[in-house]
Amino acid sequence: MAIPNILNTGKSGMIASKIAIATTGHNITNANTEGFSRQRVQTTTADTGASFENNVIGGGTRLSRVERVNDEYIEKQLRIGQKDLSHYEEKDLVLKQVEDIFNEMNGDGLNRLVSRFFNEFRKLSEESENPAVRQSVREATQAMVNDFHRIRNEVNEVVRHVDSRIEGYTKEANATIGDIAELNRKINVLEVAGGSPNDLLDKRDLALKKLGSLFDISMHRDKNGNFNVDLVGGGPLISSGEVDKLTVERTPANSDGKPDNSFDIKTTGKVPGVITHQVKGGRLGALVEVRDKAISTVLSRLDDLAFSMTQSVNAIHQQGITAGGLTHISYFKPLEEKQRAAEFIGLSDDIQASANNIATAMIANAPGDNRIAIAISKLQNERLMDQGNATVDEWYNSIVSDVGVAAQRNRFALNQQRDIMTQLGKVRDQISGVSIDEETTNLLQYQHAFDASAKVIQVADDMLKTVLALKRD
Amino acid sequence: MRVTENTNYGIVRDSIRRSRERMQDLQLQSSTLKKLNTPSDDPIGAAKILEMRTDKFNNNQFQMNSKMAEGFLDNTDHAISDLTELVLRAKEIALNQSSAASSNEDTRQGVAEEAGQLFKQAVMIANRRVGDRYLFGGYKTQSPPVDPEGQYLGDEGEMMVEIGSDVFISMNIPGVDVFNTHPKNLENLENLESLDEAPSDNANLPENVNLFDELQNFRIALLTGSLEGIRSTLERFDQIYDKMVATRAKIGSRIQGLQSTTQAIDRHNLTNASLNSALEDADMAQVVSDLGKEETVFRSSLASSKRLIQPTLLDFLK
Repeated sequence: MAIPNILNTGKSGMIASKIAIATTGHNITNANTEGFSRQRVQTTTADTGASFENNVIGGGTRLSRVERVNDEYIEKQLRIGQKDLSHYEEKDLVLKQVEDIFNEMNGDGLNRLVSRFFNEFRKLSEESENPAVRQSVREATQAMVNDFHRIRNEVNEVVRHVDSRIEGYTKEANATIGDIAELNRKINVLEVAGGSPNDLLDKRDLALKKLGSLFDISMHRDKNGNFNVDLVGGGPLISSGEVDKLTVERTPANSDGKPDNSFDIKTTGKVPGVITHQVKGGRLGALVEVRDKAISTVLSRLDDLAFSMTQSVNAIHQQGITAGGLTHISYFKPLEEKQRAAEFIGLSDDIQASANNIATAMIANAPGDNRIAIAISKLQNERLMDQGNATVDEWYNSIVSDVGVAAQRNRFALNQQRDIMTQLGKVRDQISGVSIDEETTNLLQYQHAFDASAKVIQVADDMLKTVLALKRD
Repeated sequence: MRVTENTNYGIVRDSIRRSRERMQDLQLQSSTLKKLNTPSDDPIGAAKILEMRTDKFNNNQFQMNSKMAEGFLDNTDHAISDLTELVLRAKEIALNQSSAASSNEDTRQGVAEEAGQLFKQAVMIANRRVGDRYLFGGYKTQSPPVDPEGQYLGDEGEMMVEIGSDVFISMNIPGVDVFNTHPKNLENLENLESLDEAPSDNANLPENVNLFDELQNFRIALLTGSLEGIRSTLERFDQIYDKMVATRAKIGSRIQGLQSTTQAIDRHNLTNASLNSALEDADMAQVVSDLGKEETVFRSSLASSKRLIQPTLLDFLK
């Protein structure tokens, strides 16, 4: 047992304490870093012990590893939770905009204007000779038509907004995929060298969480140890170091409800293809779902409404005879097809030209004949919509209430998910979060250990001096 | 359990956010006085409210229609009442002139003059208007329904108006129904021939009497001094009189129908208003007390934040 060994033992303690203090400092400075897991220094006894008379004497301490305190199960839960939270947040944003378009709780809207349209005809049936009432019938119709256009335009505006977000998120996804691939490479290098790249692992967890908040992803290690990421249902994004990216492209409407000229999502993989409707969950999934289901349904129902009104009113009006003796006059501009009817609905050229072309009579030379006006006003209570199951009013009101239900249901889910995430966040914090008190205590502990190890060296030094002084006497 | 500073800060942030959210909602309710501000607040209620708004809108128009129809019918009633007076007067002079004792050539000439006046007056009444619409023309509201010879130029159109949801009444009485006692016989005479049993019934059909024809007949009888002719008009004036009284009764019952529908709509509006208020209006007492409660919650969560954000060990190591 040599004294220099004791010097080494002290040195190993100083080094271990120094590393522990450095790690504690790292923890404290990253207390507020998103996704950071606190790190702990694991030490073990040194192997280089000496023996003396069959007794093994310890040779100090040795750094075994710096590990991160992290629970994979919680991380996975958080990733899934974050995906759902982002999903609901994104939907909430868009549904709120759609809801606003249909909100006439505190003002005017299509419901009122449709009622006004029918009531103007009722008024006209009461005074079919009065030219002023005719003008006002036409004005009321124009107001209703304008509101159809307004709703159509505003909904289209929302679709454009959704598209620009889809484009933004695909760019974000590509950047994140790139980051993950790069992190994979670095982690690989360090792992091969035998280290534990804690901070890089944290960063990858964070990046995966970010990517997972955009859409459903799955991860697995292949037999060569490569960390692969798939878009669930849409093929690989990162596989054996190869990276696939997402692109967007404007395409015509399709049977899945995608509006005309809006974005399809594609991959650039070995088998490139459209994966718009394979993208589920997360923000992108939410946008695609709202755009192609909720908004598309609303639009097509609105188109149904505009189309039915045009057809039904025209069918009656064409049978009428105007004061000038004209017949077969269309009230609304005739529409060929349902598609985009709410956009194209409008007064016919004849009616636009003169309100006197509004027919109220079924027989000629009978200014008091109001049967056509009555028949049109009676359409309000006729079940024109939904294969004879709903009146115009009921149909429109059900659009409003469906939009409301969708927004309400999503808001419930969002609030619930927020609670879940708060809870999960707390659990993660309990395990991986940095406590300043704890770290400060550790700091003192390691500092004292450092001092004590230094003292060991001092004592060994004194011992050496003593030994060397023996000879002088 | 490990509790870190971040957990504490998180709790503080979260409780303040929640409290603020609830307060904002209550503040919106108290500023709009409504608890239903967007469809998603209560989707089913929102649809119901829209439905009731449409109802109210329609009801207002029904009430307007009722008022207009009532005015038109009132005027029609007045006109027929005036015609009734006129017929009574004609009958009165006919009665005076029907016996040789009270009638002679001179009086008959004078009375014939009056009968001519009565005829002109009858035409004037028949051509009475409300605003620019003739009362008795049927659908032909823009031209006089009776020409100076007493010929009816109107049609049989009945202008239906909606006075309640799917409740229609006719707001006019076509002149053909007023001036004739049996107008159907008049116009169907030729058509009836084609019907199987028509020829046999034809004989039993009561004779149609026309007001203007009768006034003319009366005048001519006076001018020709035909006592027989004068007497025969007596019964016919009675028939016309009865028909007009019956028509007035019909108008009366229509107006009554109008009024009771209007009252029903008033009641309906009231019920709707109270239902609407239940769905839409915020209970202000509740909102204000909730707001007060929420304020207390907010303050106490701020106060507890002070305790949650505690000094760390570092503060004691200086």
